[in-house]
Amino acid sequence: MGKLIVVACGAGINTSTIAEDSIRERIAKEGMNDVEVKRILMADIEGYLTRSDLVMIVSMMKIFRTFNVPIFQGMPFLIGTQEEKDALLDKIVNQVKQS
Amino acid sequence: MSFIQTAVAWFLGLGSTTIVPIVLIILGLAFRVGFAKAVRGGLTTGVGLAGLFLVVNLIIGALQPAVQALADRMGIQKTFVDVNWADAGIAWGWPGVAGVILAIIVVNVLMVVLKLTKTIWTDMWSYWHGSALGGIVWALTGGNVVWGVVAAVVYLALGSLMSDLTAKKYQEFNDMPGIGVPCGTTVQASLVAMPIVWLLDRIPGLKDWDTSPEGIKKKAGLIGEPVVLGFVLGVLIGAFAYGGTGTDFGVTKILGLGINVATMMVVLPRMVSIISEGLVPITMSIVQFMKTRFKNREIFVAVDCAVLLGHPAVMASSVILFPLAVLLAAILPGVQMLPIASLAVIPFWAGAVVPYTKGNVVKTVIVLLVYMIPFMYFSTLTVSQHTEAFRMMGQYSNEIESGLKLASWDMGGDILGTAIQYVFKLFGF
Repeated sequence: MGKLIVVACGAGINTSTIAEDSIRERIAKEGMNDVEVKRILMADIEGYLTRSDLVMIVSMMKIFRTFNVPIFQGMPFLIGTQEEKDALLDKIVNQVKQS
Repeated sequence: MSFIQTAVAWFLGLGSTTIVPIVLIILGLAFRVGFAKAVRGGLTTGVGLAGLFLVVNLIIGALQPAVQALADRMGIQKTFVDVNWADAGIAWGWPGVAGVILAIIVVNVLMVVLKLTKTIWTDMWSYWHGSALGGIVWALTGGNVVWGVVAAVVYLALGSLMSDLTAKKYQEFNDMPGIGVPCGTTVQASLVAMPIVWLLDRIPGLKDWDTSPEGIKKKAGLIGEPVVLGFVLGVLIGAFAYGGTGTDFGVTKILGLGINVATMMVVLPRMVSIISEGLVPITMSIVQFMKTRFKNREIFVAVDCAVLLGHPAVMASSVILFPLAVLLAAILPGVQMLPIASLAVIPFWAGAVVPYTKGNVVKTVIVLLVYMIPFMYFSTLTVSQHTEAFRMMGQYSNEIESGLKLASWDMGGDILGTAIQYVFKLFGF
Protein backbone atom coordinates (compact mmCIF):
# COMPACT_ATOMS: atom_id res chain seq x y z
CA MET A 1 0.00 0.00 0.00
CA GLY A 2 1.11 3.55 -0.66
CA LYS A 3 2.18 5.96 2.02
CA LEU A 4 0.89 9.48 2.47
CA ILE A 5 2.70 12.49 3.87
CA VAL A 6 0.57 15.58 4.35
CA VAL A 7 2.19 19.00 4.46
CA ALA A 8 -0.10 21.41 6.25
CA CYS A 9 -0.07 25.16 6.54
CA GLY A 10 -2.52 27.88 7.39
CA ALA A 11 -3.45 28.99 3.93
CA GLY A 12 -2.17 26.29 1.58
CA ILE A 13 -0.71 29.05 -0.56
CA ASN A 14 2.97 29.54 -0.06
CA THR A 15 4.74 27.99 2.91
CA SER A 16 3.49 24.43 2.43
CA THR A 17 4.38 24.66 -1.27
CA ILE A 18 8.02 25.21 -0.39
CA ALA A 19 8.12 22.23 2.00
CA GLU A 20 6.21 20.01 -0.42
CA ASP A 21 8.71 20.81 -3.14
CA SER A 22 11.73 19.90 -0.99
CA ILE A 23 10.17 16.65 0.28
CA ARG A 24 9.04 15.55 -3.21
CA GLU A 25 12.50 16.12 -4.60
CA ARG A 26 14.13 14.00 -1.89
CA ILE A 27 11.50 11.24 -2.10
CA ALA A 28 12.12 11.00 -5.83
CA LYS A 29 15.87 10.84 -5.25
CA GLU A 30 15.36 7.94 -2.81
CA GLY A 31 13.30 6.16 -5.45
CA MET A 32 10.35 5.81 -3.09
CA ASN A 33 7.63 5.57 -5.73
CA ASP A 34 4.85 4.59 -3.35
CA VAL A 35 4.97 7.80 -1.30
CA GLU A 36 2.46 10.55 -1.96
CA VAL A 37 3.18 14.08 -0.71
CA LYS A 38 0.08 16.21 -0.39
CA ARG A 39 -0.19 19.85 0.51
CA ILE A 40 -3.29 20.76 2.53
CA LEU A 41 -4.89 23.44 4.63
CA MET A 42 -4.57 22.76 8.36
CA ALA A 43 -8.32 23.37 8.58
CA ASP A 44 -8.88 20.35 6.29
CA ILE A 45 -6.73 17.98 8.36
CA GLU A 46 -9.62 15.95 9.85
CA GLY A 47 -10.41 14.26 6.56
CA TYR A 48 -6.86 12.93 6.31
CA LEU A 49 -6.49 11.67 9.89
CA THR A 50 -8.74 8.69 9.20
CA ARG A 51 -6.78 7.55 6.16
CA SER A 52 -4.90 4.34 6.88
CA ASP A 53 -2.02 5.24 4.54
CA LEU A 54 -1.18 8.46 6.44
CA VAL A 55 2.30 8.09 7.90
CA MET A 56 3.16 11.61 9.02
CA ILE A 57 2.23 15.25 9.13
CA VAL A 58 4.67 18.03 8.31
CA SER A 59 3.33 21.27 9.75
CA MET A 60 4.44 24.76 8.85
CA MET A 61 2.92 26.29 11.99
CA LYS A 62 2.97 25.59 15.68
CA ILE A 63 0.23 23.09 16.39
CA PHE A 64 -1.64 23.38 19.66
CA ARG A 65 -2.87 19.73 19.64
CA THR A 66 -1.66 16.14 19.20
CA PHE A 67 -2.20 13.52 16.51
CA ASN A 68 -1.91 9.74 16.29
CA VAL A 69 0.85 9.96 13.67
CA PRO A 70 4.25 11.62 14.08
CA ILE A 71 4.36 15.32 13.34
CA PHE A 72 7.38 17.25 12.10
CA GLN A 73 7.86 21.00 12.26
CA GLY A 74 8.69 22.14 8.73
CA MET A 75 10.17 25.56 9.50
CA PRO A 76 13.72 24.55 8.42
CA PHE A 77 12.38 24.25 4.86
CA LEU A 78 11.62 27.95 4.96
CA ILE A 79 14.53 29.41 6.87
CA GLY A 80 17.08 26.63 7.41
CA THR A 81 20.52 26.22 5.89
CA GLN A 82 21.07 23.37 3.45
CA GLU A 83 22.45 21.20 6.31
CA GLU A 84 19.40 21.81 8.51
CA LYS A 85 17.12 20.99 5.62
CA ASP A 86 19.00 17.78 4.82
CA ALA A 87 18.87 16.73 8.49
CA LEU A 88 15.10 17.18 8.56
CA LEU A 89 14.72 15.32 5.25
CA ASP A 90 16.82 12.43 6.67
CA LYS A 91 14.44 12.24 9.62
CA ILE A 92 11.40 12.28 7.37
CA VAL A 93 12.79 9.58 5.08
CA ASN A 94 13.68 7.37 8.06
CA GLN A 95 10.20 7.77 9.49
CA VAL A 96 8.64 6.81 6.15
CA LYS A 97 10.85 3.73 5.89
CA GLN A 98 9.87 2.62 9.39
CA SER A 99 6.15 2.97 8.93
CA MET B 1 15.62 53.23 -33.22
CA SER B 2 12.08 52.84 -34.49
CA PHE B 3 12.75 49.13 -34.82
CA ILE B 4 13.63 48.94 -31.11
CA GLN B 5 10.54 50.94 -30.23
CA THR B 6 8.39 48.61 -32.29
CA ALA B 7 10.02 45.59 -30.66
CA VAL B 8 9.48 46.94 -27.14
CA ALA B 9 5.87 47.82 -27.92
CA TRP B 10 5.37 44.34 -29.35
CA PHE B 11 6.89 42.73 -26.26
CA LEU B 12 4.73 44.75 -23.86
CA GLY B 13 1.75 43.93 -26.04
CA LEU B 14 2.25 40.24 -25.33
CA GLY B 15 0.30 40.72 -22.11
CA SER B 16 1.32 39.97 -18.55
CA THR B 17 0.55 36.25 -18.63
CA THR B 18 3.11 35.84 -21.41
CA ILE B 19 5.66 38.42 -20.23
CA VAL B 20 5.86 37.19 -16.65
CA PRO B 21 7.06 33.66 -17.51
CA ILE B 22 9.75 35.15 -19.77
CA VAL B 23 10.89 37.58 -17.06
CA LEU B 24 10.86 34.87 -14.38
CA ILE B 25 12.82 32.40 -16.52
CA ILE B 26 15.51 35.06 -17.03
CA LEU B 27 15.49 35.88 -13.30
CA GLY B 28 15.63 32.17 -12.46
CA LEU B 29 18.69 31.72 -14.65
CA ALA B 30 20.28 34.82 -13.07
CA PHE B 31 19.69 33.34 -9.61
CA ARG B 32 21.16 30.03 -10.86
CA VAL B 33 18.23 27.79 -10.06
CA GLY B 34 19.01 25.60 -13.10
CA PHE B 35 17.41 25.58 -16.55
CA ALA B 36 14.65 23.03 -15.91
CA LYS B 37 13.51 24.65 -12.67
CA ALA B 38 13.62 28.13 -14.17
CA VAL B 39 11.44 27.12 -17.12
CA ARG B 40 8.99 25.08 -15.04
CA GLY B 41 8.74 27.83 -12.41
CA GLY B 42 8.23 30.65 -14.89
CA LEU B 43 5.54 28.80 -16.82
CA THR B 44 3.78 27.74 -13.60
CA THR B 45 3.54 31.33 -12.39
CA GLY B 46 2.25 32.46 -15.78
CA VAL B 47 -0.41 29.76 -15.68
CA GLY B 48 -1.41 30.74 -12.15
CA LEU B 49 -1.72 34.34 -13.28
CA ALA B 50 -3.90 33.41 -16.26
CA GLY B 51 -6.01 31.20 -13.98
CA LEU B 52 -6.40 34.01 -11.49
CA PHE B 53 -7.69 36.38 -14.17
CA LEU B 54 -10.16 33.69 -15.29
CA VAL B 55 -11.59 33.41 -11.80
CA VAL B 56 -11.87 37.18 -11.48
CA ASN B 57 -13.76 37.15 -14.77
CA LEU B 58 -16.24 34.76 -13.19
CA ILE B 59 -16.58 36.97 -10.11
CA ILE B 60 -17.19 40.07 -12.20
CA GLY B 61 -19.78 38.29 -14.34
CA ALA B 62 -21.65 37.03 -11.30
CA LEU B 63 -21.29 39.87 -8.82
CA GLN B 64 -21.49 43.01 -10.91
CA PRO B 65 -25.13 42.54 -11.95
CA ALA B 66 -26.01 41.51 -8.40
CA VAL B 67 -24.53 44.57 -6.67
CA GLN B 68 -26.08 46.73 -9.40
CA ALA B 69 -29.49 45.17 -8.73
CA LEU B 70 -28.92 45.76 -5.03
CA ALA B 71 -28.34 49.43 -5.77
CA ASP B 72 -31.34 49.74 -8.11
CA ARG B 73 -33.82 47.90 -5.89
CA MET B 74 -32.73 48.71 -2.36
CA GLY B 75 -30.77 51.90 -2.90
CA ILE B 76 -27.76 50.20 -1.33
CA GLN B 77 -24.81 51.91 -3.01
CA LYS B 78 -22.20 49.16 -2.61
CA THR B 79 -21.40 48.68 -6.26
CA PHE B 80 -17.65 48.05 -6.16
CA VAL B 81 -16.73 44.44 -6.90
CA ASP B 82 -14.44 42.85 -4.29
CA VAL B 83 -11.53 41.05 -6.01
CA ASN B 84 -9.09 40.96 -3.06
CA TRP B 85 -6.21 38.57 -3.88
CA ALA B 86 -6.57 39.29 -7.57
CA ASP B 87 -4.14 42.02 -6.49
CA ALA B 88 -1.51 39.30 -6.56
CA GLY B 89 -2.21 39.43 -10.29
CA ILE B 90 -1.26 43.11 -10.36
CA ALA B 91 1.78 42.33 -8.22
CA TRP B 92 3.27 39.62 -10.42
CA GLY B 93 1.92 40.94 -13.70
CA TRP B 94 2.73 44.66 -13.87
CA PRO B 95 5.80 45.73 -15.88
CA GLY B 96 7.89 46.70 -12.82
CA VAL B 97 7.86 43.39 -10.96
CA ALA B 98 11.42 42.33 -11.86
CA GLY B 99 12.65 45.76 -10.77
CA VAL B 100 10.89 45.37 -7.42
CA ILE B 101 12.46 41.96 -6.78
CA LEU B 102 15.99 43.12 -7.55
CA ALA B 103 15.68 46.51 -5.84
CA ILE B 104 14.32 45.21 -2.54
CA ILE B 105 17.10 42.62 -2.31
CA VAL B 106 19.73 45.33 -2.78
CA VAL B 107 18.01 47.77 -0.40
CA ASN B 108 17.46 45.07 2.22
CA VAL B 109 21.07 43.87 2.13
CA LEU B 110 22.22 47.50 2.54
CA MET B 111 19.83 48.05 5.45
CA VAL B 112 21.04 44.91 7.21
CA VAL B 113 24.70 45.80 6.63
CA LEU B 114 24.09 49.30 8.03
CA LYS B 115 22.22 47.71 10.97
CA LEU B 116 19.04 49.60 10.14
CA THR B 117 17.02 46.38 10.29
CA LYS B 118 17.42 42.83 11.54
CA THR B 119 14.89 41.33 9.15
CA ILE B 120 16.25 39.76 5.98
CA TRP B 121 13.65 39.84 3.21
CA THR B 122 13.84 36.19 2.19
CA ASP B 123 10.15 35.56 1.63
CA MET B 124 9.87 36.46 -2.02
CA TRP B 125 6.20 35.52 -2.16
CA SER B 126 5.36 38.34 0.25
CA TYR B 127 7.05 40.89 -2.00
CA TRP B 128 3.65 40.80 -3.65
CA HIS B 129 2.19 43.30 -1.16
CA GLY B 130 4.79 45.88 -2.14
CA SER B 131 4.68 44.97 -5.79
CA ALA B 132 0.88 45.30 -5.91
CA LEU B 133 1.24 48.79 -4.44
CA GLY B 134 3.89 49.42 -7.10
CA GLY B 135 1.38 48.48 -9.79
CA ILE B 136 -1.26 50.74 -8.29
CA VAL B 137 1.20 53.67 -8.14
CA TRP B 138 2.22 52.85 -11.72
CA ALA B 139 -1.43 53.36 -12.66
CA LEU B 140 -1.74 56.46 -10.47
CA THR B 141 1.27 58.15 -12.09
CA GLY B 142 -0.03 57.44 -15.57
CA GLY B 143 2.34 54.55 -16.32
CA ASN B 144 5.56 55.57 -14.55
CA VAL B 145 7.33 52.27 -13.81
CA VAL B 146 10.15 53.90 -11.81
CA TRP B 147 7.78 55.57 -9.33
CA GLY B 148 5.97 52.26 -8.99
CA VAL B 149 9.19 50.46 -8.08
CA VAL B 150 10.14 53.25 -5.63
CA ALA B 151 6.76 52.99 -3.89
CA ALA B 152 7.06 49.19 -3.68
CA VAL B 153 10.56 49.30 -2.21
CA VAL B 154 9.66 51.99 0.36
CA TYR B 155 6.68 49.88 1.42
CA LEU B 156 8.72 46.68 1.72
CA ALA B 157 11.59 48.43 3.54
CA LEU B 158 9.13 49.83 6.09
CA GLY B 159 7.76 46.30 6.35
CA SER B 160 11.14 45.02 7.55
CA LEU B 161 11.17 47.72 10.26
CA MET B 162 7.69 46.69 11.40
CA SER B 163 8.91 43.11 11.44
CA ASP B 164 11.75 44.13 13.80
CA LEU B 165 9.17 45.50 16.24
CA THR B 166 6.99 42.39 16.22
CA ALA B 167 9.38 39.49 15.61
CA LYS B 168 10.17 38.61 19.24
CA LYS B 169 6.50 38.43 20.16
CA TYR B 170 5.68 36.21 17.13
CA GLN B 171 8.64 33.96 17.93
CA GLU B 172 7.68 33.43 21.58
CA PHE B 173 3.97 32.91 20.98
CA ASN B 174 4.40 30.50 18.06
CA ASP B 175 7.57 28.89 19.35
CA MET B 176 9.51 29.65 16.15
CA PRO B 177 12.91 31.11 16.95
CA GLY B 178 14.56 33.29 14.33
CA ILE B 179 11.53 34.21 12.23
CA GLY B 180 10.08 37.58 11.31
CA VAL B 181 6.91 38.43 9.39
CA PRO B 182 7.19 41.61 7.34
CA CYS B 183 3.98 40.94 5.34
CA GLY B 184 1.92 43.99 4.44
CA THR B 185 -1.43 44.24 6.14
CA THR B 186 -0.65 41.46 8.62
CA VAL B 187 2.19 43.11 10.49
CA GLN B 188 0.30 46.42 10.54
CA ALA B 189 -2.47 44.65 12.45
CA SER B 190 0.04 43.95 15.24
CA LEU B 191 1.00 47.60 15.49
CA VAL B 192 -2.65 48.61 15.76
CA ALA B 193 -3.25 45.84 18.30
CA MET B 194 -0.57 47.09 20.72
CA PRO B 195 -2.31 50.29 21.95
CA ILE B 196 -5.82 48.82 21.77
CA VAL B 197 -4.88 45.78 23.85
CA TRP B 198 -3.12 48.07 26.33
CA LEU B 199 -6.38 50.02 26.65
CA LEU B 200 -8.63 46.94 26.87
CA ASP B 201 -6.45 45.56 29.64
CA ARG B 202 -7.28 48.63 31.71
CA ILE B 203 -11.07 48.38 31.39
CA PRO B 204 -12.55 46.43 34.31
CA GLY B 205 -14.88 43.64 33.19
CA LEU B 206 -13.47 43.57 29.69
CA LYS B 207 -10.03 42.76 30.98
CA ASP B 208 -10.84 39.13 31.81
CA TRP B 209 -13.71 38.50 29.40
CA ASP B 210 -12.95 35.57 27.16
CA THR B 211 -14.65 32.66 25.49
CA SER B 212 -13.37 29.25 24.52
CA PRO B 213 -12.08 29.02 20.95
CA GLU B 214 -13.02 25.33 20.70
CA GLY B 215 -16.65 26.06 21.64
CA ILE B 216 -16.97 28.70 18.94
CA LYS B 217 -15.35 26.55 16.33
CA LYS B 218 -17.83 23.76 17.05
CA LYS B 219 -20.85 26.06 16.91
CA ALA B 220 -19.81 28.09 13.89
CA GLY B 221 -17.61 25.45 12.32
CA LEU B 222 -19.27 25.31 8.91
CA ILE B 223 -19.19 29.06 8.35
CA GLY B 224 -15.42 28.97 8.86
CA GLU B 225 -15.07 26.89 5.71
CA PRO B 226 -14.62 29.10 2.64
CA VAL B 227 -16.94 27.02 0.47
CA VAL B 228 -19.86 27.34 2.90
CA LEU B 229 -19.15 30.98 3.74
CA GLY B 230 -19.07 31.86 0.04
CA PHE B 231 -22.32 30.06 -0.71
CA VAL B 232 -24.14 31.68 2.22
CA LEU B 233 -22.92 35.17 1.30
CA GLY B 234 -23.84 34.64 -2.36
CA VAL B 235 -27.34 33.50 -1.44
CA LEU B 236 -27.81 36.41 0.97
CA ILE B 237 -26.74 39.01 -1.58
CA GLY B 238 -28.78 37.19 -4.22
CA ALA B 239 -31.88 37.23 -2.00
CA PHE B 240 -31.70 41.03 -1.62
CA ALA B 241 -30.81 41.55 -5.28
CA TYR B 242 -33.17 39.11 -7.00
CA GLY B 243 -35.63 37.82 -4.34
CA GLY B 244 -39.24 37.77 -5.58
CA THR B 245 -38.40 38.61 -9.19
CA GLY B 246 -39.12 36.59 -12.31
CA THR B 247 -41.23 33.47 -12.63
CA ASP B 248 -39.52 31.49 -9.85
CA PHE B 249 -39.14 34.38 -7.37
CA GLY B 250 -35.48 34.62 -8.31
CA VAL B 251 -34.48 31.20 -6.93
CA THR B 252 -32.45 30.26 -10.02
CA LYS B 253 -30.45 33.47 -9.86
CA ILE B 254 -30.03 33.35 -6.08
CA LEU B 255 -28.69 29.78 -6.00
CA GLY B 256 -26.54 30.48 -9.05
CA LEU B 257 -24.92 33.44 -7.31
CA GLY B 258 -24.36 31.26 -4.23
CA ILE B 259 -22.46 28.68 -6.26
CA ASN B 260 -20.47 31.33 -8.12
CA VAL B 261 -19.35 33.09 -4.95
CA ALA B 262 -18.50 29.73 -3.34
CA THR B 263 -16.44 28.89 -6.44
CA MET B 264 -14.56 32.13 -6.09
CA MET B 265 -13.81 31.54 -2.39
CA VAL B 266 -12.37 28.10 -3.14
CA VAL B 267 -10.65 28.68 -6.48
CA LEU B 268 -9.14 32.16 -6.01
CA PRO B 269 -6.66 31.06 -3.27
CA ARG B 270 -5.83 27.93 -5.34
CA MET B 271 -4.82 30.10 -8.27
CA VAL B 272 -2.76 32.34 -6.01
CA SER B 273 -1.11 29.17 -4.76
CA ILE B 274 -0.12 28.18 -8.32
CA ILE B 275 1.50 31.59 -8.81
CA SER B 276 3.46 31.03 -5.61
CA GLU B 277 4.44 27.48 -6.61
CA GLY B 278 6.30 28.82 -9.62
CA LEU B 279 8.29 31.20 -7.43
CA VAL B 280 9.64 28.49 -5.09
CA PRO B 281 12.99 27.89 -6.86
CA ILE B 282 13.93 31.58 -6.88
CA THR B 283 12.76 31.94 -3.27
CA MET B 284 15.05 29.10 -2.15
CA SER B 285 17.93 30.73 -3.96
CA ILE B 286 17.28 34.08 -2.22
CA VAL B 287 17.12 32.39 1.21
CA GLN B 288 20.53 30.74 0.68
CA PHE B 289 22.02 33.96 -0.70
CA MET B 290 20.88 36.05 2.26
CA LYS B 291 21.58 33.51 4.97
CA THR B 292 25.17 32.82 3.96
CA ARG B 293 25.87 36.56 3.99
CA PHE B 294 24.59 37.22 7.50
CA LYS B 295 25.69 34.12 9.37
CA ASN B 296 27.06 35.61 12.56
CA ARG B 297 24.46 38.24 13.28
CA GLU B 298 21.16 38.21 15.10
CA ILE B 299 18.75 38.26 12.20
CA PHE B 300 15.06 37.58 11.68
CA VAL B 301 14.39 35.49 8.60
CA ALA B 302 11.24 36.69 6.84
CA VAL B 303 8.55 34.03 6.45
CA ASP B 304 5.01 34.11 5.12
CA CYS B 305 2.27 35.24 7.51
CA ALA B 306 0.58 31.83 7.14
CA VAL B 307 2.90 30.52 9.87
CA LEU B 308 0.98 32.64 12.39
CA LEU B 309 -2.31 30.79 11.91
CA GLY B 310 -1.72 27.88 14.31
CA HIS B 311 -3.50 29.07 17.45
CA PRO B 312 -7.16 27.98 17.82
CA ALA B 313 -8.18 31.56 18.67
CA VAL B 314 -7.32 32.58 15.09
CA MET B 315 -10.14 30.70 13.36
CA ALA B 316 -12.52 31.25 16.30
CA SER B 317 -12.10 35.03 16.06
CA SER B 318 -12.36 34.90 12.27
CA VAL B 319 -15.73 33.11 12.16
CA ILE B 320 -17.15 35.74 14.52
CA LEU B 321 -15.68 38.51 12.38
CA PHE B 322 -16.92 37.26 8.98
CA PRO B 323 -20.59 38.22 9.48
CA LEU B 324 -19.70 41.30 11.55
CA ALA B 325 -17.44 42.59 8.76
CA VAL B 326 -20.15 42.27 6.11
CA LEU B 327 -22.69 43.91 8.41
CA LEU B 328 -20.35 46.76 9.28
CA ALA B 329 -19.55 47.43 5.61
CA ALA B 330 -23.27 47.37 4.80
CA ILE B 331 -24.11 49.90 7.52
CA LEU B 332 -21.20 52.34 7.34
CA PRO B 333 -22.04 55.31 5.08
CA GLY B 334 -19.64 55.97 2.23
CA VAL B 335 -18.25 52.45 2.19
CA GLN B 336 -18.80 51.22 -1.35
CA MET B 337 -17.57 47.62 -1.27
CA LEU B 338 -19.25 44.68 0.43
CA PRO B 339 -16.36 42.46 1.54
CA ILE B 340 -16.62 38.92 0.19
CA ALA B 341 -13.30 37.78 -1.28
CA SER B 342 -11.56 40.14 1.15
CA LEU B 343 -12.89 38.19 4.14
CA ALA B 344 -10.18 35.64 3.38
CA VAL B 345 -7.55 38.01 4.76
CA ILE B 346 -9.14 38.18 8.25
CA PRO B 347 -7.49 34.97 9.60
CA PHE B 348 -4.07 36.39 8.70
CA TRP B 349 -4.82 39.57 10.62
CA ALA B 350 -6.05 37.49 13.56
CA GLY B 351 -2.78 35.56 13.45
CA ALA B 352 -0.90 38.82 13.92
CA VAL B 353 -3.15 39.95 16.79
CA VAL B 354 -3.44 36.80 18.96
CA PRO B 355 0.19 37.03 20.19
CA TYR B 356 -0.78 40.40 21.72
CA THR B 357 -4.15 39.31 23.14
CA LYS B 358 -2.56 36.08 24.38
CA GLY B 359 -5.15 34.10 22.44
CA ASN B 360 -8.14 35.97 23.93
CA VAL B 361 -10.95 35.73 21.36
CA VAL B 362 -13.01 38.67 22.60
CA LYS B 363 -10.09 41.10 22.53
CA THR B 364 -8.94 39.82 19.13
CA VAL B 365 -12.40 40.47 17.70
CA ILE B 366 -12.53 44.00 19.16
CA VAL B 367 -9.06 44.89 17.83
CA LEU B 368 -9.89 43.67 14.33
CA LEU B 369 -13.27 45.41 14.19
CA VAL B 370 -11.39 48.65 14.75
CA TYR B 371 -8.62 47.66 12.34
CA MET B 372 -10.92 46.86 9.42
CA ILE B 373 -12.70 50.22 9.37
CA PRO B 374 -9.87 52.13 7.62
CA PHE B 375 -9.66 49.28 5.08
CA MET B 376 -13.34 49.76 4.26
CA TYR B 377 -12.84 53.48 3.57
CA PHE B 378 -9.40 53.30 1.99
CA SER B 379 -10.49 50.63 -0.50
CA THR B 380 -13.10 53.16 -1.58
CA LEU B 381 -10.57 56.02 -1.79
CA THR B 382 -8.05 54.10 -3.90
CA VAL B 383 -10.53 52.44 -6.23
CA SER B 384 -9.75 54.56 -9.33
CA GLN B 385 -6.04 53.75 -9.57
CA HIS B 386 -6.71 50.18 -8.36
CA THR B 387 -9.14 49.59 -11.22
CA GLU B 388 -6.88 51.47 -13.64
CA ALA B 389 -4.00 49.10 -12.84
CA PHE B 390 -6.09 46.15 -14.10
CA ARG B 391 -7.12 48.10 -17.19
CA MET B 392 -3.54 49.07 -18.01
CA MET B 393 -2.57 45.41 -17.79
CA GLY B 394 -5.18 44.70 -20.42
CA GLN B 395 -7.61 42.96 -18.07
CA TYR B 396 -11.40 43.55 -18.12
CA SER B 397 -10.99 46.67 -20.29
CA ASN B 398 -14.52 46.53 -21.72
CA GLU B 399 -16.20 46.12 -18.35
CA ILE B 400 -14.05 48.85 -16.81
CA GLU B 401 -14.87 51.27 -19.63
CA SER B 402 -18.55 50.67 -18.98
CA GLY B 403 -18.12 51.68 -15.35
CA LEU B 404 -16.95 48.60 -13.44
CA LYS B 405 -14.95 49.41 -10.26
CA LEU B 406 -12.66 46.80 -8.74
CA ALA B 407 -11.73 47.16 -5.06
CA SER B 408 -10.08 45.10 -2.33
CA TRP B 409 -8.87 45.25 1.26
CA ASP B 410 -5.53 43.58 0.62
CA MET B 411 -3.90 45.69 -1.02
CA GLY B 412 -6.56 48.22 -2.10
CA GLY B 413 -7.43 49.21 1.47
CA ASP B 414 -3.97 48.87 2.96
CA ILE B 415 -3.23 51.68 5.44
CA LEU B 416 0.46 52.22 4.66
CA GLY B 417 -0.15 51.68 0.95
CA THR B 418 -2.90 54.29 0.86
CA ALA B 419 -0.64 56.73 2.72
CA ILE B 420 2.10 56.22 0.13
CA GLN B 421 -0.40 56.78 -2.69
CA TYR B 422 -1.42 60.06 -1.06
CA VAL B 423 2.21 61.18 -0.90
CA PHE B 424 2.29 60.78 -4.69
CA LYS B 425 -0.99 62.68 -4.93
CA LEU B 426 0.59 65.54 -2.95
CA PHE B 427 3.20 65.77 -5.67
CA GLY B 428 0.48 66.27 -8.23
CA PHE B 429 -0.19 62.79 -9.58
